[in-house]
Amino acid sequence: MTATLGNFLILAALLVATAGSMVGFAAGCSGTPEGLKWAQRFAYAFAALMALATIVMEAALLSHDFSVKYVSQVGSRAVPAWVTFVSLWSSLEGSILFWGFILGLYIAGTTWVNRNQHVDYMPYAIGVWLGCAAFFSFLIAGPANPFGSVSPVPLDGPGPNPLLQNHFLMIIHPPFLYLGYVGMTIPFGFASAALLRGRLGLGFLRPLRASLLLPWIFLTVAIMLGGWWAYEVLGWGGYWALDPVENATLLPWLTATAALHSAIVMERRGVLKGWTVTLVQASFLLTILGTFMTRSGVFNSVHSFTQSSIGPTILVFLAVAILFSVITLAMRIESLEAEGKLESAVSREGTFLINNLLFVLLTFTVLIGTVFPLIVEAVNGRQMSVGRPYFDAMVVPIGTALLFLLGVGPALPWGRPRRDEVKRALLFPLIGGIVLAGIGRALGVTNVWTLITLLFGGYAAWVTMAEMWLPLVQRMRRGDSFGTALVQGQLRRGRRRFGSYVVHAGMVVVIIAIAVSSTMRTSHEARLSRGQSAKIGSYDVTFIGAETLAEPHRQSTVAHFRVMSNGKFIANLAPRMNQYQMMREPIGTPDVHSTLTGDLYLSIMNVDVGTQNAGVLMITTPMVAWIWISVILMGLGGLVALISRP
Amino acid sequence: MIALLLVLTLQTTKVPDAAQFVGAPQSTPLQGSQLDTRTIEIAGQLRCPVCQGLSVGDSPSAMAMNMKEQVRELLARGYTREQILAYFEQSYGEFVLLKPKFRGVDSLVWLLPLIALAIGGALVVMKMRKLERPVATTPSDAGDEYVNRVRQLVEKE
Repeated sequence: MTATLGNFLILAALLVATAGSMVGFAAGCSGTPEGLKWAQRFAYAFAALMALATIVMEAALLSHDFSVKYVSQVGSRAVPAWVTFVSLWSSLEGSILFWGFILGLYIAGTTWVNRNQHVDYMPYAIGVWLGCAAFFSFLIAGPANPFGSVSPVPLDGPGPNPLLQNHFLMIIHPPFLYLGYVGMTIPFGFASAALLRGRLGLGFLRPLRASLLLPWIFLTVAIMLGGWWAYEVLGWGGYWALDPVENATLLPWLTATAALHSAIVMERRGVLKGWTVTLVQASFLLTILGTFMTRSGVFNSVHSFTQSSIGPTILVFLAVAILFSVITLAMRIESLEAEGKLESAVSREGTFLINNLLFVLLTFTVLIGTVFPLIVEAVNGRQMSVGRPYFDAMVVPIGTALLFLLGVGPALPWGRPRRDEVKRALLFPLIGGIVLAGIGRALGVTNVWTLITLLFGGYAAWVTMAEMWLPLVQRMRRGDSFGTALVQGQLRRGRRRFGSYVVHAGMVVVIIAIAVSSTMRTSHEARLSRGQSAKIGSYDVTFIGAETLAEPHRQSTVAHFRVMSNGKFIANLAPRMNQYQMMREPIGTPDVHSTLTGDLYLSIMNVDVGTQNAGVLMITTPMVAWIWISVILMGLGGLVALISRP
Repeated sequence: MIALLLVLTLQTTKVPDAAQFVGAPQSTPLQGSQLDTRTIEIAGQLRCPVCQGLSVGDSPSAMAMNMKEQVRELLARGYTREQILAYFEQSYGEFVLLKPKFRGVDSLVWLLPLIALAIGGALVVMKMRKLERPVATTPSDAGDEYVNRVRQLVEKE
């Protein structure tokens, strides 16, 4: 019964999306207001049907209706209710349904916000969105159908993937990632609409940028959550392994970031329209490529549990989307081109061009490094690897150059600055760079790249702070009180500017924290029996004992450690191994003592409760916590910029 | 007696076959903190064969731990970085090297980004030149005498 209802809703969504897409394109060509009205109705109907289908699935999960195929795959009476609730995105079929639900929300929301505006772009945009919606409905209805029926009905199920139950970050990381990935469909629709119409007016820039910024915020936070999860669970003390699937999330983020910057030049000077549109389309295509990379199982990765047989279907969609993008670009890019001009290369506009070059180069390098082993294996069957040392060698110089631009770009004036203006703008912030590099050197940083990062980072931090608070300072010079200046200058008028510099500040700290944490970490392995201690850095780690805990859905072996430093008690840490019923290998959960200066990370390699012996990996990493904090700051900065007025 | 000693050392070593693959050590044996740093550095260049994309240096798995011990011992016996990488490549295949070598088709993975940088850089320079060039348009107010007078004054500046 539930299965039939679910299938009916999905088929209706497929029908509505297909029809709506055609109506949208037809309305775009004919320009009739009635056509747009109908396209909007189809958009709302699609969202409603997807939401209903998702509610039906959640109801089936929570009521343990094992006659539904997906529930029989991921449901279990033994797991807590919240685990059952989030099981919707614990496995392929459910997560594609969740994808459809989010896509519906995005489409309906954007259609509603712009219901009376941009009437000559909207029909095309709705057409493109519902075209994508039709593909995902097809995926849910066919290759990845969660609403199959099972007979005979089993009494219980295996429960969701243990990794999902093991840590709260695994519960919020996927929704953020989907909100980022799926959201890229919206700017793709807008960009395609501009191309199909052959015009991109300045008034249309605002919805285009806002629709790009929102998923960008989600994607930024999602990437950080993924890294944080890897750090908290995988037990090797790192947060980024340049795993193909991790790279897949990074690729659209890079092109979207580039597009957000080129859109500023477009707004100021009326140039780079075709280029911005290309970047926006590329961001969407990279999300689909990323989905293919994750779902097809062609990569050897921590995420390969999500693999399935829908790979070829996604590949076909990717091919169609690329073809559509290339054709629309080839047909119309000329008609968008330059109305304005740049006055000087040595200006802020000039640095935006270099920014875009570096972001695209970074995207290309990460993409090449990720797919190269696949191509080699496909062509001549030879297995080779492209791993961290390659990415370190290639990505670190490009990243450092981007950090340099992060400082120099905002320091340079717009337009055609005078020589002495340039000199003054560029020289002062050097103080910040030299001071920070000096502090780093005094604290024992010897790695050349890290020192360069500190130099450029200090420079960029100085420039960012000066630019961020400029409106406040100017108002106070004119005699405003601090309070008035703060509200008027930062939060009312200049919200977008303020938000952007908050993002920049966060980015500077993230880059510094990554450089410091990856080059300054120390690790030590020790075998301890009860009562013995081991030393790492200034910490004394004592093994107090191990015990076994039984819960309905898992068994845990917990090792207890007491951490002291110079005779003072610091923390009790309890890294553990969780053994889930459905998994052969136990999942380790390290325990971390986190402070703003650095983390102490304990991970058990093996533990014997009988003889009370434990092998423990101890890692100290400076500044890791700053990565999580700063990325959240970047997200908030993005939100401030998003809610700004034009 | 010597033969017996040799057999004993061979049995206690973790890498008995190093000599037959990569010959005699070509460097001086390492010890102490230098040995630790070099071990971490070289273990970071090797892929853990049973993991999902982690390096031997990063992976907590038993296999990786064992390989790390092998690296340490080879360094302690005076093998160079190139010899150690070659040893693991011959034992596990090219797959084990995380940093692709600059040879044959594989050099493309290094060259393509550089080519992209060259092309992209050239495009950006061309674009900047094009955008910096004043746009040659006939002003719509060309006939206006007052405007022409102002324009002459401005251009003299």
